[in-house]
Amino acid sequence: MVDLSPLRDAIIDGNAKMAKALTDQALKEGTDPQSIVTTYLIPAMDEVGRRFECNEYFVPELLIAARAMKGSMELIRPLLVKGGVQPIATVAIGTVKGDLHDIGKNLVASMLEGGGFTVVDLGVDVAPEKFVASVQEKGVNIICLSALLTTTMPAMKDTIAALNSAGLRGKVKVMIGGAPVIQRYSDEIGADGYSDNASSAVQLARKLAAAA
Amino acid sequence: MPRVRLLPQDESFEAPAGAALGDLLFSHGVEQPCGGRGRCRGCRVQVVAGALAPGDDDRASFSAVELAQGWRLGCRARVDADLTVALGRWSSPVLADDTPLVLEPRDGLGIAIDLGSTTLVAQLVDRANGQVLGVRTALNPQARRGADIMTRIDHAMHGGAAELTALVRAELGRLVGELLAAHPGTPRLVTVAGNSVMHHLFAGVDLAPLSTPPYEPEQSGEVALDGGALGWPGCAGCPVVALPCLGGFVGGDILAGLLATGMGQDPRPSALIDLGTNGEIAVSDGTRMVCASTAAGPAFEGAAISCGMRAATGAVSTVRVDGDGLAVTVLGGGAARGVCGSGLIDACAAARRLGWLAGTGRIKREDRLIPLAPGVALTQGDVRQVQLAKGAVAAGFDLLLRRLGLRAQDLGRVWLAGAFGNAIDRASAHAVGLLPLPPERVTPAGNTALLGARLALSHDDHAYAALRARCTHIALKQDEAFEDAYLEGMAFP
Repeated sequence: MVDLSPLRDAIIDGNAKMAKALTDQALKEGTDPQSIVTTYLIPAMDEVGRRFECNEYFVPELLIAARAMKGSMELIRPLLVKGGVQPIATVAIGTVKGDLHDIGKNLVASMLEGGGFTVVDLGVDVAPEKFVASVQEKGVNIICLSALLTTTMPAMKDTIAALNSAGLRGKVKVMIGGAPVIQRYSDEIGADGYSDNASSAVQLARKLAAAA
Repeated sequence: MPRVRLLPQDESFEAPAGAALGDLLFSHGVEQPCGGRGRCRGCRVQVVAGALAPGDDDRASFSAVELAQGWRLGCRARVDADLTVALGRWSSPVLADDTPLVLEPRDGLGIAIDLGSTTLVAQLVDRANGQVLGVRTALNPQARRGADIMTRIDHAMHGGAAELTALVRAELGRLVGELLAAHPGTPRLVTVAGNSVMHHLFAGVDLAPLSTPPYEPEQSGEVALDGGALGWPGCAGCPVVALPCLGGFVGGDILAGLLATGMGQDPRPSALIDLGTNGEIAVSDGTRMVCASTAAGPAFEGAAISCGMRAATGAVSTVRVDGDGLAVTVLGGGAARGVCGSGLIDACAAARRLGWLAGTGRIKREDRLIPLAPGVALTQGDVRQVQLAKGAVAAGFDLLLRRLGLRAQDLGRVWLAGAFGNAIDRASAHAVGLLPLPPERVTPAGNTALLGARLALSHDDHAYAALRARCTHIALKQDEAFEDAYLEGMAFP
C-alpha cells in the first residue's frame, strides 16, 4: 500500500481540500478503502483527540479536522457499504427534547465517525420515541444524548425511561454529555457513561462497544 | 469618620477617611462606565456641601466653570471630611449630549424600574423635566431561588412561578413605598424594564414558551398592571407597565436600551450590545433593526474561570503590558484575590501582545499559565472559556450584521450596555475579537435599561411599541452560518 501519511497530516491540519484530493487519488489507484480508514483516518482523529486533551487543540481545530475527515469519509463510505464492512458499532446521537444546541453534539458525532463508528445523527430536539425507534429500526448499539441546558437535562432521564418501557434498555448502551452534565447525573439516571469532551467520548464509546 | 450624603436619593453613610469616593458610589448603584479610569464623566458628582480639591483628571474633564460649580469625577475623589454630593448621571435625562431624543414634558410623578436578575433599581422621576427625585436599590429576592435566569426558569417550571412573581412584586413595592415616603405624591405611571424572564415573572406570564424550543415568548407585548392591585403603596389606579420583549431572550431591557441610545432615530447604522451570561445584541442599519441573544456563558462575570470573581475588592480589573511582563490594578488597591471580567479580557489581549498566547488560544509559555499577580493566573482552560464566550458574541454580532447587509466598519457607533460593558476596556475587547470595532467607535452607555424605562415615562405611549415593531428577533441557533461564525469568532485576531 502506498504511503498516505500526507492524508493523515491533512486531516490533523484540517485541510479538507487536500484530504479529499488524497483520498480520491488513493481510491482511484485501487487502495483498499477499509485500510485507508484504519491506517490513516482513525489514527489521524486519534492524534487530533490527543492534541485536544493536552490542550494544544481547541474546539475550532477539532471541528475543522473533523470536517476534513468527513470529506474523506464521504468518498469512502459508499465503498465500505458495498463491500459489506462491519463498523465497530452503530451509534445514534441527538440533542434531547427541548434543546436546540448542536455544536457539541455535531463534534462528538464527527469524532465518533472518525473513530470508526457508524453514526446516525438524529439532530436536535429529539423526542425519546425517536431514540427508541432508532434502536428498533437501525440496529443501533449505542445511544449518545446531549443537553446544554439545566432545564433540558431531565429529557435524558425520560429517554432512558422510554428505552426501558420499550424493553430495549438491555440492548443498547447509553452515554451522555453536555455542559451542565456531570458523572453523578449519569449515575443518577442510570446511563452507562458520561464524557466531558468529544475526544474522550470516542474512548468511552470504544469501551462500551467492547463490553457490549 | 467622615459622613457622606448622596443626593437626590438622600442616602447617608460613614466612610473611612481617605476612602475612594468611586468605590462608595459604586456600592450605591452609581456605575463607572469607563471602569473608574477617569475618562467618561459617568460617575461625575457635584459638591453640594463640603469640599473636594480638583485633581488633574478633573481639570481635564471639566471646564473652569464646571469646576467652579463643584463638578468632580467620582472615581478620582477621596473622602477626607464630611461631604454632600449630587449624582450627575441622574440629573441628565438623555444618555449622550448628541442623542437626538427630546423629552415630552408630562404631568406628575413617574417611577422607572430596572428589573435585573441580580439588582433592582427604582427611580422616582418628575415627568415635567425628567429629573430624578429619588433612587432606591435592592437585590432581586428571587436570587435565593437561583442566581441565573435558567435556574429561575427551572424553579418556575417546577411550581415556583407564583412564588417568584410574588417575591419580586413585593420587593419592588417596598422600594416604591420608600420613594413615595421621601417624596410624597401620586405617581401617574410606572415603567419596568427587564430581560424576557424577568418580564414574564414580574407580569405573571407563563414561562413555558421560553423553556422549550423555539424559545419564543407567547406574549411579548406590553403588560399593564394596576399599582393598586399589586398592593403597592400610593399607587392605586396607577398603571404599571412592563416594557414588551423584543423576542426570544431579548427583553424589554434591550427595548429600553434602544430608547436610551436613540438608535431608533439615528439614520446611521449602529448597534447595542449588552454583555452578560446572555449576550444580547441589536443592530440597526438606520431603517431596519434586528436583534438576537447569544449564550456567552458566565465567563464575563468571572464564573467558570479558575481564579474568577465578581468585580469586587481584590479583583484584578485591568491588565496591561509593562516591559516584557504585565502590570495589573486591583479593585480596592489591596492584594489580588482573583480576576473579574474586565481583567480577564485585558489579560488575554496583553498576553496576545506579549506573544504568550497563540491566535488559536494556546498558551505558549512553558508553564502554560498567564500569571497576573501572586496566586492569580489564567490557565489554558480559562482562556478556552473566554474563547467560547467571546466567540458566541462575535458570531451573533456577525450574523446580525450580515442580515442587514452590513459590515462592522459600516457601524457609526456601538453602544455597550450593562455593568460589564461599562467596565470592559474597549481596546482590549477589540484586540481579543470580542468587538469588531476600535474603541473610538464604541461608547459605554451605562444602565440603559433604567435610562430607557425613565424615557418611557415621558414618551408617547406608542413610541416603544413602534420601535418594537421595527425590530426583528433572529433565532441564531437556526441559522446555518452560526457554527462557522462561532468557530471563527473563537480565534484571537
